[in-house]
Amino acid sequence: MTIIRSASASTEPNIGKAFNQHDMSSTKKTEDTTCTQIDQLLQRNPNLWRGCNITDQGFQGLSTGFPELDDILPGQGWPQSGLVEIISRHWGMGELQLLIPLMRSISEQGQWILWIAPPYVPYAPALIQAGIDIHQVLVIKQDTSCKDALWSMEKALKAKDCGMVLTWQNWLPGKVLRRLQLAAETGETLGIFFKRKGSKYSQLPLRLQIKDSDSKNHQFSAAEITVIKARGNFRPLTTQLDLYSQK
Amino acid sequence: MKDLDTTSPLPLPTMKKAVTQVVKLPLTTRNKNNRGITKPNTKPRRQTLWYALYFPQLAGLCNNKQTHILHEIADLVVSVSSVVSFHPQSLICEIRSSLRYFGGINNIHDKLKALVIPKLQEHKSANYFLYAASPTVSGSLLLARSGQNTLVYRKENLRSALGQLPTSVMLLDKEQNRRLYNMGIRKIRDIWRLPPDELRKRFGSDFVNLLNKALGITHEPTHNYVPPPAFTTSYDLPYEIENLNRLLPIVDEMLIQLCEFLKKRDLNTDHLKLFLLHEKRNHTELDLNLRQGSRCRNHLLLLIETHFGNLNIPAPVIGLKISVKKFDAFIGESNQLLMGNLIVGRSNSNSANNTLNHLIEQLQARLGFDSLKSVSAIAEHGPEYAVRQLNYEESRILTSTTPVVTNRRPFWLLENPVQLILRNGKLYHDQVITLISGPERVETYWWSGQEIQRNYYIARKVSGSRLWIFRECGGKRNWYLHGYFA
Repeated sequence: MTIIRSASASTEPNIGKAFNQHDMSSTKKTEDTTCTQIDQLLQRNPNLWRGCNITDQGFQGLSTGFPELDDILPGQGWPQSGLVEIISRHWGMGELQLLIPLMRSISEQGQWILWIAPPYVPYAPALIQAGIDIHQVLVIKQDTSCKDALWSMEKALKAKDCGMVLTWQNWLPGKVLRRLQLAAETGETLGIFFKRKGSKYSQLPLRLQIKDSDSKNHQFSAAEITVIKARGNFRPLTTQLDLYSQK
Repeated sequence: MKDLDTTSPLPLPTMKKAVTQVVKLPLTTRNKNNRGITKPNTKPRRQTLWYALYFPQLAGLCNNKQTHILHEIADLVVSVSSVVSFHPQSLICEIRSSLRYFGGINNIHDKLKALVIPKLQEHKSANYFLYAASPTVSGSLLLARSGQNTLVYRKENLRSALGQLPTSVMLLDKEQNRRLYNMGIRKIRDIWRLPPDELRKRFGSDFVNLLNKALGITHEPTHNYVPPPAFTTSYDLPYEIENLNRLLPIVDEMLIQLCEFLKKRDLNTDHLKLFLLHEKRNHTELDLNLRQGSRCRNHLLLLIETHFGNLNIPAPVIGLKISVKKFDAFIGESNQLLMGNLIVGRSNSNSANNTLNHLIEQLQARLGFDSLKSVSAIAEHGPEYAVRQLNYEESRILTSTTPVVTNRRPFWLLENPVQLILRNGKLYHDQVITLISGPERVETYWWSGQEIQRNYYIARKVSGSRLWIFRECGGKRNWYLHGYFA
């Protein structure tokens, strides 16, 4: 109990002031010790995090390659492992381009990228242009059943040398997601779901939406990213990106 | 004079004393002789009888083909004798130990003939072979080469049997043959009349050794044929089982046997066949091809379990059989003594490769062999010709890693371009499309009759989708959607 009270004191200093003015020095001391205790707890237990502080989440993410996006993502980037949902209402919104810097670093590390039943054939010359080693790209063909696709995803997420698994599935009940989440944690792999529609109650820990940029002069590379759900933020955060600034 | 071994000098033939007992095969009136053989051997060491099969027709073939055919025949000969050795164009097997079992040399000969002749026909070689049997390997070989199909049971009779053979059976080189001929030597017995030291000096010790070996004076080590390992195990179920998952514990038991077998021989396997036997139906066969040799029971069981997941059996299972015929040497993973960065990295990548192979095997087992594709780029200008989806196994050959074009290409390419609607000077694909940049002219395949002549544009829909569209330069000049900049 004491820890919680001191934590509130540290985040809301005004209240602390009003209560304990005469005993300032001793509170400071206990504050310091409790702060370190909290830090220790946060570091030790990955299931604990600070409520409304998106940058300090106790883990360092993988840079997205877009500084504006890094700023609004917990851990300053993509999580090292876990599941991410990317919602784009239409194809061709730049949803793959968003992941290109990450894919590049994954293929540079010698890890594999598995595409499970993509809607179209990934175009190899474009992947080469983007700097991805296509020898490390594996594709499971399009007409795979949903059950098989999710089974493959679980297997791939568990495999340590699969760096990233991309899938285009819409049917994702909570039970399935839980299994996939555990698989991703076991294999330390990142699983990405691409969806056309975002449901209000998705259980995925990180959800992004990619939209057309608001600016009137429709540029080719401009896009708007909204972080709908992430650890450590309560309301959606939005940023404008230049998707092709990487090149 | 390579090696002067100190064997006793070749005794000169004493023709009067020699008792020859040469019998031609097939033997018809040999019962007396046979009886003589089956008497208990008084000598402390058991005598041997070597049966030689000589295939002069193989001499015309290349070495590889020869060894291939000889190996195949050796596979058959193993059914008669456990000791088989290879010699130029001939096979030699020990049959003394199996004489009683087969009921005499005639039966053995008939059995071998019935096995070997079809095999020779299969290889389109002349379907005959020369044969002979004697107590020494080289003796049998020389006798077989003479083509007289001789049988010699006793060592002491070898000298007279060999003595009659022409010197050509020794397969000497041209120079040695010439010298022997000039010395007036035509038959082997003529050689024995010469002083052995002088022979050694003039013809080398190999020459003298060959004759000594043939007579049984010198030991002759043979390189025995070891038949390749094969593993089969089967299990008959006490009752019919329809649920494949209930077979798994039995499969596991059988895999334990297999892994024991492999461990004892220090082997790996990358091809395993599992047969599910049904009553009054053909068996169901599961072919497990591994990407890398393995003898890991858990991995094999997991693969079989995955295969069972999408296997439909025509009838309940009454028995199981596992058969393995392809083996590889086992190469284990070893930990490094010195943990240098480089070494650690390499060993990691090795084990990573292993787990990846396991993953790919599992995916292929569940989804089918053709379901796993790799994307390959081909150095072509035509957009649809620049990519090919190949099965994972057959990729890597065609793939080029440098893009041919420098212009921006979309991540999604539609297999069949979708025609766009042009209305009132505006393009539509559900929504209005506006051009952003272009055109980029792509002209190719004019030589093939399927000419590509297009102007490509980057465009966008009102919704924000980035499209790759083109307009035909000839014909109806229609507009098409060809890709998405996802």
